[in-house]
Amino acid sequence: MINMNKDDDNIIEIKNLIKTFGSFIAVDNVSLNIERGKIFGLLGPNGAGKTTTISLVLGILKPTSGAIVIDGLDNIKDNELVKEKIGFMTQETIVDSDLTAYENLKIAGKLYHLKGEALEAAIKNALKEADLEAFANKKAGSFSGGMKRRLYLVKSMIHAPKILILDEPTTGLDVQNRVEMWKRIDDLNKRGVTVILTTQYLEEADRLCNKIAIIDHGKIVAHGTASELKKQVSEGSVIEIIAETNVVEQIVKLLRTKLKLEVNVEDEKIEAFVAKDDIKMVSKVADAIYKEKITISSISLRLPTMDDVFIKLTGSSIRDKLEEQNSDRANIMIKR
Amino acid sequence: MGIFGDTYTLLTRELIIFKANLRTNLIRSVIFPIVIIFFFGNISASTFNIGITVVNYANNPQASSFINALTSSKTLQVQQVTSQSSAINMLSQGKTSVVLVILPSFPNKVNGNPSIDIYYSNSNFANIGAAIPLIQSTAQSYNAGISTNILQQQNNNAVLESNVAVVPLYGTSSSYKVFLVGGILAMVAAFGTVFGGGISIIADRQLGVLKSFYIAPINKKTIIFSKMISGVIQSIIYMLVALGIGFIDGATIAMGVLGLVWIILLIMLVAIGFAGVTTVIASRVNKVEVYAILAQVVVLPMWFLSGAFFPATSLPSFIQPFSTLDPMTYATQGIRDVMMLGYYPIQAITTDITALLIFIAFGLIASALLFKNYVD
Repeated sequence: MINMNKDDDNIIEIKNLIKTFGSFIAVDNVSLNIERGKIFGLLGPNGAGKTTTISLVLGILKPTSGAIVIDGLDNIKDNELVKEKIGFMTQETIVDSDLTAYENLKIAGKLYHLKGEALEAAIKNALKEADLEAFANKKAGSFSGGMKRRLYLVKSMIHAPKILILDEPTTGLDVQNRVEMWKRIDDLNKRGVTVILTTQYLEEADRLCNKIAIIDHGKIVAHGTASELKKQVSEGSVIEIIAETNVVEQIVKLLRTKLKLEVNVEDEKIEAFVAKDDIKMVSKVADAIYKEKITISSISLRLPTMDDVFIKLTGSSIRDKLEEQNSDRANIMIKR
Repeated sequence: MGIFGDTYTLLTRELIIFKANLRTNLIRSVIFPIVIIFFFGNISASTFNIGITVVNYANNPQASSFINALTSSKTLQVQQVTSQSSAINMLSQGKTSVVLVILPSFPNKVNGNPSIDIYYSNSNFANIGAAIPLIQSTAQSYNAGISTNILQQQNNNAVLESNVAVVPLYGTSSSYKVFLVGGILAMVAAFGTVFGGGISIIADRQLGVLKSFYIAPINKKTIIFSKMISGVIQSIIYMLVALGIGFIDGATIAMGVLGLVWIILLIMLVAIGFAGVTTVIASRVNKVEVYAILAQVVVLPMWFLSGAFFPATSLPSFIQPFSTLDPMTYATQGIRDVMMLGYYPIQAITTDITALLIFIAFGLIASALLFKNYVD
């Protein structure tokens, strides 16, 4: 699964990319290679530079310096050719509610210069793939959220691009629709489409992506497979204890002093990092707590998650308001 | 595929959306003309208390009794002045609707000339339609046994018309209603573009549709072109609706079908010009609410300065230059020439079209520059 290939099969090569908005550096000297036929995840807190990076790849923004090569073509010089290779789906569902599903797809297809039979075939295929054949002539405004999302996905893929970029594809979807969207992304990838996605659901990245890059303050802070990134956090496992808040402090003290463990506290949850597969440690911890006559709700052993990686690398998971205002999105809006 | 194909594709989308919201769009475009044409267009159309000023140069019993007969009518509100010039003054100032001069020879005709002169102006907010026949019939019944001259002259409209003073703004058959309809057409067209094309740019941006166009392999200018053409088409539809309302209320186009063609051409120029203005505003504003307010701030003064409601010449002198700079003024004047004068003087064509083309050039250049920067 992990492809440690050489540079030659990179579908996207980003070289020393810099983008500034006035004095604010949104993307700070990013170099990144994305392998052909893989699912690539770009993670980062709000305002980290995800959207700016993607806008640069799409050619909506021009870089301050640096270059992006997509499938062998420079994305500024051969902008129109590059655009035909990329499909893009944003967090918002962009379908025209006043147009029918068919009309939505037709306009999208025509904008990618599909004509005649090829266009009709692409539309037919798209409707089939989105399970919307019965609703082809119904206005998209009357669709449910999931239907619109499916229509939007096939609309973004109408020109059969080699690369699909998804900006938070499952934000705001319910669990069923999210699982279905994952399946669709997997299916597309199996057919050879390179997928790049940003997400705020870390388990989504963990599940879907072959490679993950974490970006913060415009810089790539980590890059690798999910398991490689997890190793960076801890070679071992995590013991997770859940207890009443009034005893949490007592437990932490116990773990730190007596058992010499690295401990992380979050409300009622205590996480202790231990060596890999150290099942004995669980009973040691349980014994220690039992001897002190402290009651706890649960104790468990698990592997580190992407959440652990993310928080370790980017500090807190939530950025304050000021940071948010400096975000790339806000800057793009001001530019308008 | 070229710019044309892409523009056509995007225009198709615009028109499908326009059609989908046809009812809302039409209601919005109909409300203004209905209110303004029916209410303002018929202002002072009451048949009671029409102000009439009598100058009695005859000073004989017949004249006095004729005036008494007029006074007893409830339709007319008669007042007397001593000199013809002061009466005409009042007329030109809009203080009276009709001036009736009873010549010294009354009730006898002298050398075939009539002994009553009537002056009236159609450009005052007056309906003299009821007053003239009443004066005629009063004169007829009063003079029935005395002089047939007046009767003959009154039956012969040509003679009477020659004594009618019409404030020479627009043609002899002009009425305020037609005057007003001309102004409303230009305004409806402007509003059609501003609220048809411009708001959709912002709505598309808010919904992210614009972004989905940017990532497509098309020239960005096609996005503006399609919005502009859609705005122009909408303007012409709204203008025709407003004109229809004007027709229902009794307005006419003196120049006929050719006049309609001229009106459509002028409206197209106004619409293209405003499409530019619209793009300029829309490229600077992110919210529909803010856009709506800004658009009003731009369009309303232009509309009032254009003399849509009253002749621009009656504006205070310090405002006059603004009226001259207002491109809407020229569109309104052109439409009025066509609707009221019955012909479009070549000099007026040159002035009006040139002014509108300058307006368009400014709008297009500004919007091309701003829209280009916007994506960079």
